[in-house]
Amino acid sequence: MSGSALTVRQRLAAYAGLAKIQISAQTIYRSNYLVSLLGLLFKVYLLKEVWVAAYPHSRATMGHGQQISLSAQIAYSTLASVQYFVFNPWTLSGIPERVRNGQVAVDLARPVRYTAQMTFGQAGVMIAGLPFVIVALPFAILVGGAEAPASAGAGLGYAVSLVPAFLITLLTGSIVGITAFWTLETDGTSIIYRMVAQFFAGALVPLWFMPGWLETLASWLPFQATTYTPIAIYMGKSGSVVSTIGLQCVWVVVLWLILRLLAVRALRRVALQGG
Amino acid sequence: MTTEPRDFGREPAGRLIPWWRSYLVLLGAAWRSQFQYRANLFIMILSGVAWQGVGFAFIWVVVAKFGTIGGWSLSEIAFIYGIRLTAHGLFVVVSGRIFVLDTVIQEGEFDRYLVRPAGALAQLWNRQFYLPHLGDLLSGLVILIAAATEIPADWNVLTVGFLLLAVLSGGMIEGALQVIAASFAFRTMNTRQIRGMMDDIFSNFGGYPITIFPIAIRLILTFVIPLAFVAFFPSAVLTGRSGGLYVPEWLALMSPLAGPLLVLLAREVWRSQLKHYKSSGS
Repeated sequence: MSGSALTVRQRLAAYAGLAKIQISAQTIYRSNYLVSLLGLLFKVYLLKEVWVAAYPHSRATMGHGQQISLSAQIAYSTLASVQYFVFNPWTLSGIPERVRNGQVAVDLARPVRYTAQMTFGQAGVMIAGLPFVIVALPFAILVGGAEAPASAGAGLGYAVSLVPAFLITLLTGSIVGITAFWTLETDGTSIIYRMVAQFFAGALVPLWFMPGWLETLASWLPFQATTYTPIAIYMGKSGSVVSTIGLQCVWVVVLWLILRLLAVRALRRVALQGG
Repeated sequence: MTTEPRDFGREPAGRLIPWWRSYLVLLGAAWRSQFQYRANLFIMILSGVAWQGVGFAFIWVVVAKFGTIGGWSLSEIAFIYGIRLTAHGLFVVVSGRIFVLDTVIQEGEFDRYLVRPAGALAQLWNRQFYLPHLGDLLSGLVILIAAATEIPADWNVLTVGFLLLAVLSGGMIEGALQVIAASFAFRTMNTRQIRGMMDDIFSNFGGYPITIFPIAIRLILTFVIPLAFVAFFPSAVLTGRSGGLYVPEWLALMSPLAGPLLVLLAREVWRSQLKHYKSSGS
């Protein structure tokens, strides 16, 4: 790999540059963000009303062996929707487009690993969306609801667990993106991925309300570590915080290995594909 | 392009070929262009199913846990969801890409529509066939048929007829609202956002019993954005709930008429706005 020729400092500068390009590219689509923010608020509001309508009159129920009050559930769905929105901007990855039009050749000629380029580019897209989220958050809390973290430790645990959650989102997105080297077309695949990931992340319904078999399935997939896990920590419903975050980190390593393995094979295919 | 100022609103050339023939010719062309790529066919349709299916999976988990949502059982909500989605599927499958009107105008493609022997709206309507839409229609039909056999409705010629008309009308309602919103592209050239918002409201709120919302939202979803007429009122009628609604019963019973009425309105709006069309010159 050509990446080894650079010093650590040069490489970090390159990563920051890759992210910055995406940040400035995204600001062109400001009005799109505003519309999707409105869509986010509709979703937060809808989820709230559904929970209100579904909950029994006592406004409390059991899930996963724990008491889940209506206000806690609304706080969960509000935070989950906003967090999912930040982590999953619509421009998932530029790989399919660039594979199709051949620009990927330029990417490969850069002295930074291709996987790193993808990852930091995606990070830039997400960072560009952050200001919009800061604007949206108060409105989301207004149409939905919020609760303080279960304890100071839970709040800290939440902040820490967002890091592996973010990395897992980047990695699964990149893994789906890199399949473009084989399929040359991922519009359909990426929609399917988004929908499946959103559901199993617990972005719509938390794992504690899923039927047993579905919960088992969800807990063996990496997606729950992106949305459900941090919020469960925040609400003090995750069990041991340290081992929960540890498990997230295991997922980061596993997914990174899968991505590296796929990347090596994918780059070999480029030669076959030609310009 | 120079044209003497004439009344485009009447779409003069449209009379040369019957509208339904030009419609079929254009629809055929749009379909053929998409079916060129068979490898993607399956995955694209599946993506439409996934897109719509995840919303239903959410409802299913909630009802599995709590029994009902606002007093509606799973099969009854599925019935609402199925009508909404089938109506939406019908609209998107036949409408091609009304969604791209802004681009069509901005890039000057619309000029060509005006000189062809078919109505401008019909050409836009059939501009491109988008495969995931077929997934919308398929998942809608599957959910609707499965739910219809489950709900305690008395199926006879009258009720089945009402259901079919309601689904058609539902598709017309969504189509008419999209055309009305798109019409304003002739003035502002940018209606994507308002149409995207409409689409958002339809797909988020359309599959639920409207009565779970506070009265202000119900009234908006009935009289401002007539979403309640698409699936909720027909479902309320067929599940024997039309007596206790927040509107008079006759209004719910008339819901199959809402679509045709809105289509007539949309046609007038489209024609009146088309007069404001100025070529972008590109």
